[in-house]
Amino acid sequence: MTNKSGKPLILIIDDEEALRDGCRQVLEKAGYDVLTAGEGIEGIKLARENLPDMSFIDLKMPNMSGMEIIEILFRDIPDIVLVMITGFATIVSAVEAMQKGAYDYLPKPFNPDQLRALAKRGLEHRYLKIETKRLREEKDQMEKNFITFVSHEMRSPLVVIRQYIEALNTILGERFDQDTKEIIERCRKRIQSLEEMVEHWLDISRIENGTLAQQKVDLDIETIISKSTDEMIPVCRKRGISLEANVPPKLPQIKGDEESLVRVFSNIIGNATKYTPDGGKITITCQHDEYYINVTIADTGVGISPDKLSLIFEPFFRCGGKNEKYSGSGLGLTFCKKIMESHNGCIAVSSKESEGTTFVLTFPCRIDQE
Amino acid sequence: MTNKKKILLIDDDKDFLFATKLILEKGGYEVFMAEDGKSGVEMWKSVNPDLAIIDMMMETWGEGFSVLNKIRATDKGKEIPLFMLSAVDLHGPYNSFEPPPEFPKVNRVLHKPIKADDLLNYIARELSSK
Repeated sequence: MTNKSGKPLILIIDDEEALRDGCRQVLEKAGYDVLTAGEGIEGIKLARENLPDMSFIDLKMPNMSGMEIIEILFRDIPDIVLVMITGFATIVSAVEAMQKGAYDYLPKPFNPDQLRALAKRGLEHRYLKIETKRLREEKDQMEKNFITFVSHEMRSPLVVIRQYIEALNTILGERFDQDTKEIIERCRKRIQSLEEMVEHWLDISRIENGTLAQQKVDLDIETIISKSTDEMIPVCRKRGISLEANVPPKLPQIKGDEESLVRVFSNIIGNATKYTPDGGKITITCQHDEYYINVTIADTGVGISPDKLSLIFEPFFRCGGKNEKYSGSGLGLTFCKKIMESHNGCIAVSSKESEGTTFVLTFPCRIDQE
Repeated sequence: MTNKKKILLIDDDKDFLFATKLILEKGGYEVFMAEDGKSGVEMWKSVNPDLAIIDMMMETWGEGFSVLNKIRATDKGKEIPLFMLSAVDLHGPYNSFEPPPEFPKVNRVLHKPIKADDLLNYIARELSSK
């Protein structure tokens, strides 16, 4: 409460001295601190100085009307509960007062019980309102902090475990037999993929709440394709997979974040290499019209069955289920989809089992306006 | 008397300190550890290390930086090799930290977890070039 005494503070603004004093006595007896004013200007001054929790204001007063006072107090005093006292309790004036921010109205004549009851109810209303506001702010803050929290609290232990594994290998590595080394290496890999999963999940949360740092600039698709295929060349060479990119000259530019788009391409091309048997083929082609650029990434891999095809962009969905041969977070394609959407583009897939899978990424061309 | 080179580790994660200490000791260094910025700076003064490794993300974002500033502000601290540690970023360069140009000199930014070989190599390189 705002009052020094710790008691709720109520301000009475009424031009009738007898009514002011009557209200004061009743409310003080009920355990409240009370201030009184005989007219509007004085009342507003007292309110600004003392920030009362609640105020009863007479509608009909000389100089400033109760309606005006309510308007001003509602605007100036945070969370104040305003009650209009009126001898002419008409629906019209009550509605007007409520519209201006009043909580309720009290028709004259009223008895002490009515006054006490309304004061109690009004202050409860205020308390609930403040509490609701506080909880809402807390919730918003929690949502905001959540990602920071997760990234620190969930990653730290994983990082430490990997550091311990490093330490273990450093101080005892020479003495480990083959089996022990294998166990430690498997632990390391599992921890690492858990870390990756946390990381990918964080990326997706960041896209969803708009905190993923993306710098959208004019980009050539060709640059993105070559950056992402460069990473894959060694793997493909080793496994005899041919990796071909056919990008026509003078492809329109797009507007996008290079870093995240390279990750999208690397992800899809990476999947293609995983699921394409040795000696297979991955082909990247681009087509465009005035409005869109389509990039097609086709492989001659194992393909995806029709019942699973519609689910592959879902978080944590794995085509191979628990028997999945390749480790991964199950979030790679979800990430790709979200990134494409954040570029006003889209991603589509078609596939035939044991023939191959084709992803089509569609980007809107950069529009030269201004 | 030992003529081992002295390394000061400042990090608020006890386990990270311990794991890193084991690696550094195996590398032949004498290791001193501090769990917060304040005792890190005090230990810096009393131990007079040859190199210090400071975590950026202790308690608050700023703590690692303020430790760095305090050490660089001392006479002995002007030229000593200082490494900063970060777990901000594990993979892509999102939010990855590079000290801005007006920043006190950081000899190297390391990302957690650090490979033991890399860590020992970086330190050896800094200390031999002195």
